[in-house]
Amino acid sequence: MDLALTEEQEMIKNAAREFVEQEFPKELLLEIDENRYPCNTESWGKLIDTGLLATLIPSEYGGEGGSFTNAGIVFEELGRGPVPGPHLSSFALSVNILLKMGSETQKQQHLKAIADGSEVVVPAISDSEYGWSTKHVSAHIETTETGLKLNTNKSFVIDGLSATHFIVAAKDDEGTIGFYIIAADSEGIETRELTGFAWHMTEVKFVDVAILEGSKLENCSWQEFEKSLLVSSALLSSYQVGGCQFVYELSVDYSRTRVQFGTPIGRFQRVQDHIINLVNSLDGARWTTNEALWKIDSGKEFEDSCHLAKAVASQAYLDCCTYGHEVHAGIGSLNEYGLTLHTTASRSLFHYLGDPRYHKEKLAAVLGL
Amino acid sequence: MEFEITYSAEQEKFREEVKEWLEHNVPAGIEHPADSTDLTLDQYHKRRELGYKLGEKGWLWPTAPQEYGGGGLDVEHSIVIEEEIDKIGLSLPPYYDSGGRLGGNSILVWGNEEQKKEFLPKIFKGEIRTWQLLSEPEAGSDLANVKTTAVRDGDDYILNGQKVWVGSAFGAEYMWTITCTDPEGERHKNLGWFMVPGDAEGISITPMSLLSSAGESGAGSGVKNIVFFDNVRVPAKNLIGGENNGWQVATTHLELEHGTGGRIARNWIVDRIFDHCKETRFDGQPISSERFTQDKLIDIYIDAEIGRLFQLRNYWMRHTGASFTYEGPQASYFRKTSGLRIATNILEILGPHALTNDEEIAVEEGHIEAHQRAAIIALHPGGTTDIQKVIMARRIGIGRENKEKAGALK
Repeated sequence: MDLALTEEQEMIKNAAREFVEQEFPKELLLEIDENRYPCNTESWGKLIDTGLLATLIPSEYGGEGGSFTNAGIVFEELGRGPVPGPHLSSFALSVNILLKMGSETQKQQHLKAIADGSEVVVPAISDSEYGWSTKHVSAHIETTETGLKLNTNKSFVIDGLSATHFIVAAKDDEGTIGFYIIAADSEGIETRELTGFAWHMTEVKFVDVAILEGSKLENCSWQEFEKSLLVSSALLSSYQVGGCQFVYELSVDYSRTRVQFGTPIGRFQRVQDHIINLVNSLDGARWTTNEALWKIDSGKEFEDSCHLAKAVASQAYLDCCTYGHEVHAGIGSLNEYGLTLHTTASRSLFHYLGDPRYHKEKLAAVLGL
Repeated sequence: MEFEITYSAEQEKFREEVKEWLEHNVPAGIEHPADSTDLTLDQYHKRRELGYKLGEKGWLWPTAPQEYGGGGLDVEHSIVIEEEIDKIGLSLPPYYDSGGRLGGNSILVWGNEEQKKEFLPKIFKGEIRTWQLLSEPEAGSDLANVKTTAVRDGDDYILNGQKVWVGSAFGAEYMWTITCTDPEGERHKNLGWFMVPGDAEGISITPMSLLSSAGESGAGSGVKNIVFFDNVRVPAKNLIGGENNGWQVATTHLELEHGTGGRIARNWIVDRIFDHCKETRFDGQPISSERFTQDKLIDIYIDAEIGRLFQLRNYWMRHTGASFTYEGPQASYFRKTSGLRIATNILEILGPHALTNDEEIAVEEGHIEAHQRAAIIALHPGGTTDIQKVIMARRIGIGRENKEKAGALK
């Protein structure tokens, strides 16, 4: 047993932290939040160039060939920003889907392109009734005189506006769900940003979109998709841990500097309670996530731990932000302060790759209940 | 990162040795009863005898230094012993010995050479069992306010006062006791710790009637007592850490008591409720398949897993010598609060079945009923949940730049 990071992992962590602090200062994050195009920044290009995002992609496909734990370290540091962009979608879920279901040709083509940033592949799984189970995939690919056509609305697709390609889940004539990789600029695709509190979410409409030869992932099955989803959710958990950690540091700092009634507010036990709840949520998320990543890397049964981690980390990120608002009161609601970036992300990521309810149900099944 | 304890061939060989030894030396019928008040004197004697034998092997306090009678073993061997003891439903030591656990480490850190040689071998070899005596009627969370006096008289100190929530059934050979050595002195600079012989004249013990006397981690205590000191004469050489230096000594004692040691034992009550719900049928279906029950079981599971990981983290930190800040009181706070949540979830699942230890209809031989009571009582010993939060806040440095340091351990 050794719960410390290795020397190499410490180096990755430090490099990632330094990079995020330098390249994604709060001003840029706020600007992206306003304009909503994370890939249109110089910093995103630099992030691709570091190779950090491609940690999971095997070296024969242009990536780093690193472990889930290493990738988790990178995602945790991104989560501190929170750095937006198609990392969880393209570099986590799509990479895992392609690794599990893609043919050699599909891997050669898309993994390399994801790694060098020339493609952004965004999964569009759920139809308008949102969820991550087979019942949420109602899209149907019809055989028409002019070939296969897709008509559907994929809802709450995170990073849809950044996509060069979508991986779409749809049923064939037999009702079997398949996964198809479709260029985002295909005729009949319309991507609409969802306004409001939603974080980089879009609705993607497919109207008579032609499904081209070779676009179906070769070895697809719902089981393989669920495995891809599950291991990706552990990386999302890391991102949420990073967010929790940042909000914790922000809140402790504020408790020392904000003076009311002539004393730093952190001297009040009511305020202390919020921060203690925060750190307890943070550490619960951190250790369940770390154990899940370790299990994936070491070839153990990881289903229970991954479901546990995502259920805990989603709840923790949401709660930590709420506790952060309690500590900061009015100041926390100022967009320029930065806390709201996390609050916004925490709500949308609560559901992404399965909400706690989804993962608790799955966990119950794994535990034989 | 490596969460699993991996075992070398040498360790596995050692495990076989431990298993075989335990098979030969652990008498039948000494495992924890559902309610620790039900432990019989005969069971207690057998446990003490087992402790003594473990002590001879150096397995009672496996990592304690050999020069003072401990096992001198490394963590790798200690883990194997702890795991095997846990498998047969016991812990180390196999009886309530709060003073040994907390006083032993305090003496290691603060005792002089003579005191270490005098007390530690007795503790580490299981020759004595020691209670801890801290709280008083007017000194609960405010421990520094203890009023029991220790006044110097020649080569002795004379102790007078009253201690509460003390010990267990069946007495103790020593009492690890915090007293006020200077009633006029400045707060925190007026205390002293004594190893008081349990048979000293002037000590009287009265059992308390309580909802439950369980609660601390490890072996249940069975009974809690009020201990009165009436002109009890204690040799001055039994004062540990020096006169008026008791608050320093207390930082070590309390650091351990607040959960910094960590644990690697399983949470048996969680195993029990899962098994029970899978095996019990209602309307032809296991009750674990019912949606509401399933939700509650998963909430229990999540609490237990987070608690396990906090304990594992602390165990690892303690044995790698990592420096602690808020992790001890965090684990303690979480154990207490999640323990009560778990009990409440169990109550919701089982209804009044959880509330009786009736011989005919008790669930899991009464363990569930005992846990319902114990989970409430467990909130407060060894520092209340609120005290744990106060310590966490100071260690984190909420509202302050200068963070409080954790107590010294060995």
